[in-house]
Amino acid sequence: MKERLQQLQEEALSELRQAQDLKELQDVRVQVLGKKGSLTEVMKGMRDLSSDQRPLIGSLVNTLKNLFEDSFASRQLELQQQDIAAKLASEKIDVTLPGRRAMSGSLHPVTLVTDEVNEIFSRLGFAVAEGPEIEQDFYNFEALNIPKDHPARDMQDTFYISDDRVLRTHTSPVQIRTMLKHEPPIRIIAPGTVYRRDSDITHSPMFHQVEGFLVDEKVTFGDLKGILTHFLNEFFGDGHAVRFRPSFFPFTEPSAEVDIECVICGGDGCRVCGKTGWLEILGCGMIDPAVFDSVNYDADKFSGFAFGMGLERMAMLKYGVNDLRLFFENDLRFLKQF
Amino acid sequence: MIVTYNWLKEFVDFQYSPQELCDRLTMVGLEVDALEEIGGELDSVIVAKLESVEPHPDADRLTVCQVNNGNEVVQVVCGARNHKAGDLIALAQPGSVLPGNFKIKKSKIRGQVSLGMLCSEKELGLSDEADGILILPQGLTIGEPAFAALDLKDFQIEIGLTPNRPDCLSIVGVAREVAALSGKELKLPVPKISEADISIDNRAAVSIENSEGCPRYAARMIENIKIGPSPDWMVRRLEAVGMRSINNVVDVTNYVMMELGHPLHAFDYTFLHNHQIVVKSAQQGEKFTTLDNQGHSLTSEDLMICDGEKAVAIAGVMGGLASEVKETTQTVLLEAAYFKPTSIRRTSKRYGLHTESSHRFERGADIDMIPTALDRAASLIAKLSGGQVLAGSIDCYPRKLDNVSIEFSVNKAKALLDIPLERDEMKVLLESIGLGVLAGQDLDTLQVKVPSFRPDIEREVDLIEEIARLYGYDKIPVTMPTGTVDAKLPPLRQLMQKTLRQAIVASGFSEAMNYSFVASDSLDKIKIKSDDSRLFQVKILNPLSEDQSVMRTSLVPSLLETVSRNLNYRSTDLSLFELRPTFLSQVDSTQCIEELSLTAVMSGQREPEGWSQSPVAVDFYDLKGVVEEILAKVNILNISFQPDASQPYMHPGKSCQLIYDKQLLGCLGEVHPEVLSNFDIDQTVYLFELNVENIIKLSGNHAQFEALSRFPDVKRDTALLLDESISAAQVMHIVNKSKVKFFESATFFDLYTGKGVPSGKKSLAIRVCYRDLDKTLTEAEVSKSHDKLIRSLCHQLEAEIR
Repeated sequence: MKERLQQLQEEALSELRQAQDLKELQDVRVQVLGKKGSLTEVMKGMRDLSSDQRPLIGSLVNTLKNLFEDSFASRQLELQQQDIAAKLASEKIDVTLPGRRAMSGSLHPVTLVTDEVNEIFSRLGFAVAEGPEIEQDFYNFEALNIPKDHPARDMQDTFYISDDRVLRTHTSPVQIRTMLKHEPPIRIIAPGTVYRRDSDITHSPMFHQVEGFLVDEKVTFGDLKGILTHFLNEFFGDGHAVRFRPSFFPFTEPSAEVDIECVICGGDGCRVCGKTGWLEILGCGMIDPAVFDSVNYDADKFSGFAFGMGLERMAMLKYGVNDLRLFFENDLRFLKQF
Repeated sequence: MIVTYNWLKEFVDFQYSPQELCDRLTMVGLEVDALEEIGGELDSVIVAKLESVEPHPDADRLTVCQVNNGNEVVQVVCGARNHKAGDLIALAQPGSVLPGNFKIKKSKIRGQVSLGMLCSEKELGLSDEADGILILPQGLTIGEPAFAALDLKDFQIEIGLTPNRPDCLSIVGVAREVAALSGKELKLPVPKISEADISIDNRAAVSIENSEGCPRYAARMIENIKIGPSPDWMVRRLEAVGMRSINNVVDVTNYVMMELGHPLHAFDYTFLHNHQIVVKSAQQGEKFTTLDNQGHSLTSEDLMICDGEKAVAIAGVMGGLASEVKETTQTVLLEAAYFKPTSIRRTSKRYGLHTESSHRFERGADIDMIPTALDRAASLIAKLSGGQVLAGSIDCYPRKLDNVSIEFSVNKAKALLDIPLERDEMKVLLESIGLGVLAGQDLDTLQVKVPSFRPDIEREVDLIEEIARLYGYDKIPVTMPTGTVDAKLPPLRQLMQKTLRQAIVASGFSEAMNYSFVASDSLDKIKIKSDDSRLFQVKILNPLSEDQSVMRTSLVPSLLETVSRNLNYRSTDLSLFELRPTFLSQVDSTQCIEELSLTAVMSGQREPEGWSQSPVAVDFYDLKGVVEEILAKVNILNISFQPDASQPYMHPGKSCQLIYDKQLLGCLGEVHPEVLSNFDIDQTVYLFELNVENIIKLSGNHAQFEALSRFPDVKRDTALLLDESISAAQVMHIVNKSKVKFFESATFFDLYTGKGVPSGKKSLAIRVCYRDLDKTLTEAEVSKSHDKLIRSLCHQLEAEIR
């Protein structure tokens, strides 16, 4: 009997090894452990054994059965892995074909720049304010120390709606509107659309500006330099020199223009900076006492500064756009680049 | 304002190079826009000596010259006749480019090699003299650039002056700044006049009737002059600062204006009736012809210079045609006056006459400069035109303008500028630009007397600016403001705009920005009818063009224009939006309502072109989905979409209004084909408009959490056979209202008409989802609810189950 079992084991294990697929493997299992399987037959014959032989043989049968089951399982796993490997080997896609994408949208570059400017200043404690685009002469000019018949009006070619209403030429009227409503301390940023009667390659009759101002006790010109230098470093990245030089705006005194070292050529001089190495980027100054007078602020107690910048210009420098007109042509090929 | 380097040097002995000078001027507030070398491009034209001049063997009119250029002797063929051996001449060497882009090359003329050209004055741009070549004075160095050798080299410096600095509208004014920068002395011209015996008082009289408009009027007379061209030096100077030479009298008035900043006018004395000048206001409607031959009808606000009979000049703006200096003029009356800035500005604007003179007067001329300017011009005219200056001058000065005196607090300046300057240092700075400074009552105070050439300095803060400017902005420290910050979140309006923009961009839309002004008939193209409030447009009084003459009341025309333009660029899949204000004029038209609109258009394919999907055109429901998505982002849910045929630019059967809580939020639909053809658009376009103001009013809610069930849902599908006229919204309304037990949600999953469905009917399939928070539902529970719901639908809509 022992020999019989030995032979059975060799045969069964050999057949397991020879099985080439899962079906053949299953057949082997039926041949061995099925109803009429070879091992089943042996087990059926157990009852004919003598009682002293039975435990011995029983133990051998069990060992054989376990051995077979283990071998079966491992061969099964082997064949399954072979199957998967074969299947994977037959399946291949071209991963370089483009992915399926949804239609992607885009914000206008001026919106992107506005958001960025707003964010930088809001981290410095500035709140956003708005005002109307059709503005009263008082807010746009008079209260900003630009009286009628003053040559300073020539600095901004104006669209008129009536004698005393204009398309605002800057977002500075928001300064007046806000100061009339709130007492210092105050930190405001006011982005918006402005209009000037000027149209050529470098001027658009409609464009966008951000006006900002801060009023408190003991605000200095140094603070103005600090805030704007910080802003320019945030917006254009560190490492660009910034210079302040005297200028004139009716609503600030002292007034300054702010230049940044050309972000295109790094100050060596190029077409964008007109070979000067500097880019004019901001107008600013300490708020003129005449402006404080028109909003009933005490000019002896408070001081402050204001600044303004053109957002299209910021966008042109940031994204390297070389033609102002592109911003309003709304060519999708342009808009999708941002 | 254009100045030249050499002209400045006449008044201040500075040591800066031209570039250095420009940098310093810019940093002191006189921004230099351009620096150009005059004659610099002619450096290859050199001084050379004619060693020999021989006739050309094959041409009678030409000569063959051996020319010493300092290095070697070269041969040049020349057609002139005024040259001889030994002369110094200006040789344009091969490679030179003369004015008029005239390129000099090595050539052969009638068989003789010619290595350059001997230049005439005209060829060098020095004068109109083309007869013969320019013979240079002996003693110049051979080989040196001719312009440098002749001292003709200069630098043109263009300054972008701010309107507060009339003092720098002159060479002397800019020189004053240079003097302050360099610490050198400003040398003002001191005119010397030799006067004739006859006094001006015997020949002319001046009276001022409007002394407010003209506080001072002075005059001199020059007799026996001969009008002719000005000398070259003056012509060159004037041209260098951008002025054209006229004749030797007018040129002097311009020259002195550029030099000293004070405008002058010369009248032909013979044409002054009664030899008298009267300064007075014009008669309303009075006619006057200026010397540019333009007729004007005057108003009583215009200040005029008149003779004994009639007007001869618009004061400070432009002279008259009749009394201008001409070739026959022998005696001139020279005017130097001061006119009130606002008056000049109004008149100049009224007639569109912006002149060098009005430019200066409206910004504020220097009233104390009048005698100097008058004397300087009179002496120059006498010198250039051979006349005699009559003895004395008339100086009518009825309203003496007092110099401004300002008390200046040193500490205030120190605090505002955050600089460590002491009183004496500030005093030095202020004195350097010609201000009179005295120590004040205490150590903190300076008393500053402002000279008449700085009308911009009126207040203490103006002096603080001068201190800052002269001290140097770059030396002011960089600090951060201390003090309280009251930073709030951006206001709701801002936040909502940002959210809406982000939401629509997430749906694949690109943001456009069109001009706010459009053509007044732009609404015709979208078929707006005459009773529509959108026709109340705000008009611009002075538009740049008719196409930009009114403020838009709707974003639709501009966006359709944008679609059309993009189709021309062959971009055919378009999802575009604008979030911008519209401007509605009110009936009384003194007020205007600015309302934000979010308008979007969609056209073309639903998905980008690709290798795996076949193109599907967008339709109404794509854009509707976008609207629903955007409004969901601002927590406006359950909007009602009501069919609406009232928008003239929409397809009447494929458009609707968006209503929420009885408020109109906007409209949505397919653009009317006639409107599309008005814009030359040949593909279907869908459009929506949202009133952002209403959305802002409704917003402010945020999402509210609903508890999640841990038990499975059960779905039931039923196809309803409905009358075609019954809308999906009606079905959904009943579903939502019936409130059957365990109802969770419902969606439509099929819409079918055709075979098997009777005509006039449609099959709409609905999938209803049931779920309970606390238990798994049984079949019986679900069936009970669902049967009730379907019965209710069938009953109310006369529907059948299909």
